[in-house]
Amino acid sequence: MKKILIAILILSAISCENLVDDINQNPNEPVDVPAELLLKGMMLADITVQVSHMQRISAMWSGQYKGLTLLYGSLYTYNITSEEANDTWEAIYVGVLNQGRVIRESLPDDGLMQGITKVLEAHVVGTATSIFGSVPYSEVVSDIANPAFDTQSSVYQQLQSILDEAIINLESVPATVSNTQDIFYGGTPEKWIEAAYTLKARYYLQTKNYADAYAAAQNGISSGDNSMKFYPPGVVGNGDSNLLYSFAEARGGYMTSIGTYFESLLDPENADSRNNAKTNEEARANFFYYDGTDGAGEIGVGAQTTPQPLILFEENLLILAEAGARTEDFATGLTHLNELRAYLNSGASFNMANTGGTLLYESYDEADFENGGIENSDGIDKDRALLREIIEERYVSGYGQFIPFNDARRLRKEDADIAIPIPFNTPEITQYPERFIVSQDELNANSNAPDDPGIFSKTEVNQ
Amino acid sequence: MNRFFTTILIGLLFSGNYLLAQTRTVTGTIKDLTNNPMVGVNVIIKGTTKGTTTNIDGKYSLEVPAEATLLYSFIGYKNQEIAVGNQSVMNVTMEEDIQQMNEVVVTALGFKEDRDKLGATSAQVSSEDLVRSGESGLINGLAGRAAGVRISRSNGDPGAGSLIQIRGTNTISGDTQPLIILDGIPVSNSNLYGEGSSRDGGVSQQSRLNDINPNDIESVQILKGASAAALWGSRAANGVIVITTKSGKLNSKINVSYGATYSIDEINVRHPLQDKFGQGSGGVYSPTSSTSWGDKIADRSGAADELDTSGEYFESDNGNRYYPIISKNSQETYLDDNFNDVFKNGNFLEQNLSLSGGSEKATFFFSIGDLNQEGIIKNSDYRRTTLRLNNTYTFNEYVSMKTKAGYTRSVSNRIQQSSNTAGLYLGLLRGAPDFDITDYIGTYYDDAGNPYRNRHRSYRRYLGNNLNPIYNNPLWTTNQQTSDTKVDRFIVNSEITVSPLDFVDVVLRGGVDSYTDNRVYFFPKGTAGADRVNGSLRDETYTETEYNFDAIARTFFDINDNISTNFTVGWNINDRKRKRVYIENQSFLFDSYLPNFEIAPSITDIENDRRFIRSNRLYSVLGFDLYNQVFVNLSGAYEVASTIDGGFFYPSADVAWQFTELPSLSNLNFLSFGKLRASWGRVGVQPDPHKFETTYESFSYYAYSDGLDIQLFDGGFRLNDDEGNPQLKPEVKTEWEIGTDLRFVDNRIILGFTYYQNKIEDLLIDVGKAPTTGFNNQYANAATMENKGIELDAEYNFLRKADLSMSIYGNFNNNRNEVLDLQGTESIDYTPGGSISSRAVVGYPSGVLYSSRAIRNEDGTYDLDDNGFPQLAPDQGVVGDPNPDWRGGLGFKASYKGLALNVLFEHFHGGDFAERTRFILQNFGTHADVGNEVTLTQELRNVNGEVFGAGSTVRGNIADFGAGPVLLDQAWYTSRGAGFGSSVINEFALNKGTWTKLREISLSYTLNSPGFREKTKLSSVVFTLTGRNLKLWTNLVGVDPETNQFGVGNGYGIDYFTNPGTRSYLFAVKVNY
Repeated sequence: MKKILIAILILSAISCENLVDDINQNPNEPVDVPAELLLKGMMLADITVQVSHMQRISAMWSGQYKGLTLLYGSLYTYNITSEEANDTWEAIYVGVLNQGRVIRESLPDDGLMQGITKVLEAHVVGTATSIFGSVPYSEVVSDIANPAFDTQSSVYQQLQSILDEAIINLESVPATVSNTQDIFYGGTPEKWIEAAYTLKARYYLQTKNYADAYAAAQNGISSGDNSMKFYPPGVVGNGDSNLLYSFAEARGGYMTSIGTYFESLLDPENADSRNNAKTNEEARANFFYYDGTDGAGEIGVGAQTTPQPLILFEENLLILAEAGARTEDFATGLTHLNELRAYLNSGASFNMANTGGTLLYESYDEADFENGGIENSDGIDKDRALLREIIEERYVSGYGQFIPFNDARRLRKEDADIAIPIPFNTPEITQYPERFIVSQDELNANSNAPDDPGIFSKTEVNQ
Repeated sequence: MNRFFTTILIGLLFSGNYLLAQTRTVTGTIKDLTNNPMVGVNVIIKGTTKGTTTNIDGKYSLEVPAEATLLYSFIGYKNQEIAVGNQSVMNVTMEEDIQQMNEVVVTALGFKEDRDKLGATSAQVSSEDLVRSGESGLINGLAGRAAGVRISRSNGDPGAGSLIQIRGTNTISGDTQPLIILDGIPVSNSNLYGEGSSRDGGVSQQSRLNDINPNDIESVQILKGASAAALWGSRAANGVIVITTKSGKLNSKINVSYGATYSIDEINVRHPLQDKFGQGSGGVYSPTSSTSWGDKIADRSGAADELDTSGEYFESDNGNRYYPIISKNSQETYLDDNFNDVFKNGNFLEQNLSLSGGSEKATFFFSIGDLNQEGIIKNSDYRRTTLRLNNTYTFNEYVSMKTKAGYTRSVSNRIQQSSNTAGLYLGLLRGAPDFDITDYIGTYYDDAGNPYRNRHRSYRRYLGNNLNPIYNNPLWTTNQQTSDTKVDRFIVNSEITVSPLDFVDVVLRGGVDSYTDNRVYFFPKGTAGADRVNGSLRDETYTETEYNFDAIARTFFDINDNISTNFTVGWNINDRKRKRVYIENQSFLFDSYLPNFEIAPSITDIENDRRFIRSNRLYSVLGFDLYNQVFVNLSGAYEVASTIDGGFFYPSADVAWQFTELPSLSNLNFLSFGKLRASWGRVGVQPDPHKFETTYESFSYYAYSDGLDIQLFDGGFRLNDDEGNPQLKPEVKTEWEIGTDLRFVDNRIILGFTYYQNKIEDLLIDVGKAPTTGFNNQYANAATMENKGIELDAEYNFLRKADLSMSIYGNFNNNRNEVLDLQGTESIDYTPGGSISSRAVVGYPSGVLYSSRAIRNEDGTYDLDDNGFPQLAPDQGVVGDPNPDWRGGLGFKASYKGLALNVLFEHFHGGDFAERTRFILQNFGTHADVGNEVTLTQELRNVNGEVFGAGSTVRGNIADFGAGPVLLDQAWYTSRGAGFGSSVINEFALNKGTWTKLREISLSYTLNSPGFREKTKLSSVVFTLTGRNLKLWTNLVGVDPETNQFGVGNGYGIDYFTNPGTRSYLFAVKVNY
């Protein structure tokens, strides 16, 4: 009797397991997809890193936007906590780096995908280290539960290496290949190679290695067409539109360009105006005007389908100009600056169809930078005057990117004389922000995360 | 002490029985109060085991010795002892005993047991208490009735869901609600939000348990402890609520009963608002400003506003024209008008008709119920129609069966609320006091005279000159948008009992609970919110079906005279399937009110997902009854579930000792009954299904309100940011408790005391991974928490006379929860989306409030800035605890002849509450707090360091944060001093949450005198007046402390423009035939 009972019990236990087999397989999400289908998502994550919340905050701290109310009112006056970085942090590591890892592991022989994913990785990690300082990189997206924070200089070094690898990968595929998942460049290797070089130049510049920056930029983005931009489809609304548009739709009245230092710089009536006999910024001022009340009202930089800048031809030219002026000679710098002005003057740099206005960017000549020239009314050194104009041009061309914030911090120590005189947003502080606070999600979960030093602590390369 | 022993001694001396041997026959008929014969009544000669039971006609016949006393007993009725004397016919009328009724408990397996023999605690709520509470939803009727059982309804919306929490929080990520067993089978009590309406802002969702008509319920049994519930294994950690529906009685005539209840409902608390200052900012009027920091209204001229009639204007559908305001002169304000435009007295009419009865072999209970409710917010409503048919049939002495079937249809429209620009309170309370909301819809004409029809006029867009109103006009919220829910639900179960031998029962029990819940959210073009401004239609359907089958064999036998035993073995299989389909459009082709996708050219979002869970369990119970005073139960369940890697065993044990059965204690006058009990058990919570694998997912990125949705880029995937986990185990709660049940002085004082302690291990959480690992989270068994506390239930029947009875009753619980381990994760957010969240944080009770805070010095004082104001700390942290120090209920019952009075208070002591509505309204300048003007007696600074001279009069308040008085003015309230986002010091939104409610006061009168019955042919008529939640005492301002922005779940203590609670006056009539 007892034995029978035990036998029944055992049998029941076995049959138990059979009854529930496979029920738990996921009926809603695939567990295997072609790796190419991850690429577009990496790009959306990249866009989120480059031209969204963090960028807008950086621009509010750089005289380009004003935060008017609620969260943006507070952020504008430098009240920021670690929570603000959470979504950006996720976009960097989960959205770009981990997906890139999967693609590269799945398609080890696909040079195009190897190269593209590495450039995207370098793009977001470069932004990360520039705005946060020390960030995890060498131990990320692996089995390591608590990736170490690498020093900023070490991250920059690793970025140069991965960009070099990317270039080798991209050069290994036929120049004629294409890829429809690539919403930036359609899978054209040449464009990716140029973008990789401009990134190399950008990071050399950020680390004040001007000679290497100049060299890298030689192979950088060579035309307006090869600029990397986010082209929003803008069909539905929030979700597929220009992020400034979506932001104004969702958070109307939070932020504006009206009344900023940036606006006064372009305004011929203003004492800070950069307009002169050879320069008319009216069209650019119109285009960069961001009212911020609602998306539908935006017709320029914040219009629903206006492309947003990621890595621009303009930046490459200005790296050549600044690094050239610093490491070659005045003439080299001026030549490249004038290349940019010619490009601006062609009207190809931005779409002024809806915003109108006049533009004029005549070539500067050496005399313009000499004592009493139109770019040197205060009689400073000619070379410094040229650099000052290049920096100011970077400040304007870099609108919508981290360039103004990065330049301000880069130049603060040694080049304060040519830096943009960014006003403080509140009389309560006497220091400028030097970095962003690392994501609270990372601080919560990574035992190797250092105590955050706060936004006024300089990052390693700007010390 | 001496008297104690004397009593024992005397008791022992007289405990012998000396009977004479002369016998004769006594006959009689036994009837109940309604004059129906009662079958099966025990008639026993006192002091012997000799006796008989009544037959179908209620008749009995018994041989008795002379001078015998007969003891008549029947379960649920008062025992009667009658000395035979020289009577030969003894007709008896049995009276129902409500007290006694409660002694019968229904166990986790659906069997009736004597409560006095159980070693685990449970609480009962009777049918009368439920119905008398006047709550339209079953769950709310349980509030305040049992120690350790917390009920909070999310808000006062008709049909809104309610939180049930038994002995504190028992899980972090799992299902927070107890398992509901209805007539032996588990039924859904889900509270699903879905995609169409989010938890932090949308409409309040229903609790599925409220589909059950409270009038159909015979009893509700709340099994609180792990040991009572252990047979339900991985679904029992939150406790089990066992509900039994009514049945007819064998051999009874047809009983017809009709009841009608009419309720009038009012808002119970209003947010105080200011109407001294107009819309604008910095003391200057602006008709488009978001805030009301404008001009002083009393300083306006009082003339008509100066308007620009040269160009654009708005013409409302009522024909009123609005032109751009050049100069605001009118002093009119509209606080009450605006409020009354959208609020009214709610009401409901509930009607129930039931028929029941039975023959010799069959019984039936049929009911039809209809509850038709209009909420206090205009256009909110709830209608629930229920049908029920319960049958039993006894084939012969070996086989009987019963079938219970219920159908519910409910239809409801609830109003958008909380963190939601299309929500009611958000638009109403942020609105300027000098803006009249009446003309909310009309035609906008631009400067060129072009008309734009059906434009939405709101306080920030008073001309309707833009499709986007920014915030909804409250009238648009109530009148133009709809959030309709329709539910159809069947619950059917059948049970066959086969008794092949005297001591063996075999029960086969199967059931199905199946419902469809369809929600249609309609937002016309021009509704606030980027995803609604072009119109949005969202159609979401849940279908859920749960099948359950048990095969149970029970045997009872006596080992000897003093030891009997029972043994149960059973097998259960349970299968749950849920499917959700969601379709959303965000852009209408034209300005339509047709809730059909025909008006929408494209689909913005379409989602379908399914959920499968299956488990089966082998379980067994072994019970011993020793000397009729010690009762031991051992049980175990071995369960295999699809969501769990491998099988899992859930043991439990309990022991009860009726020490008053000891001969030495059995005749104590003051102690009528005493029981000591102890139990131990282990229960679980199942992991969410489909979590074994790491999947690829669709996704969107939002860094701040600016999304990128992969689906709008022709689709794509990412490797899920949630890493899969193939080694999932159940959460395991191990609990022990000890307690006693005592009854004193002839059962006049009833006392139940329990101390419990549990530890819940392997709690499943999304372990926050460092995003740098490539994953944000992994769902894993990682956390540990514990609960402990005392439960006390007491009743004192201090007056008990033939016609008059009075008693007080109460309950108490002081649950203490602590989160012990989160495996390195600092905190887990129960309420994502808010600036103040309710979280699990190690070392704190579950649910603590977490937000940005002020920088503090080591001694706890604020680290102030140069102007004397607190500063924003760089990191967030715990700022409060919403859990009470203790909770209790206190009631008073009295009855005099046909009159009965019941009063019940509920108290919630301690606990913090985040008054976020108030905090944000301060920022917007509309709260009464910021309507003050102060005349300074000394020079003060504001947060920006601006100096205001003595004697100046300023709008604001004076506060002292530790460095002397400072001026709180617009600069403070609109920067870090109030508002939302992580850049304001959110801890200032907290307040102490202690409250007391007069939960219920009811007076009923029953007409059932013989004369009345004779005249009317009715058996009784009962009139009841009930007041529900009539009075609230609390420090909180403007909010019912029970409301919760996040509805049913682990996160609570937060109000954010959440729809208000209600108080009700009810009148009920019940006619029994």
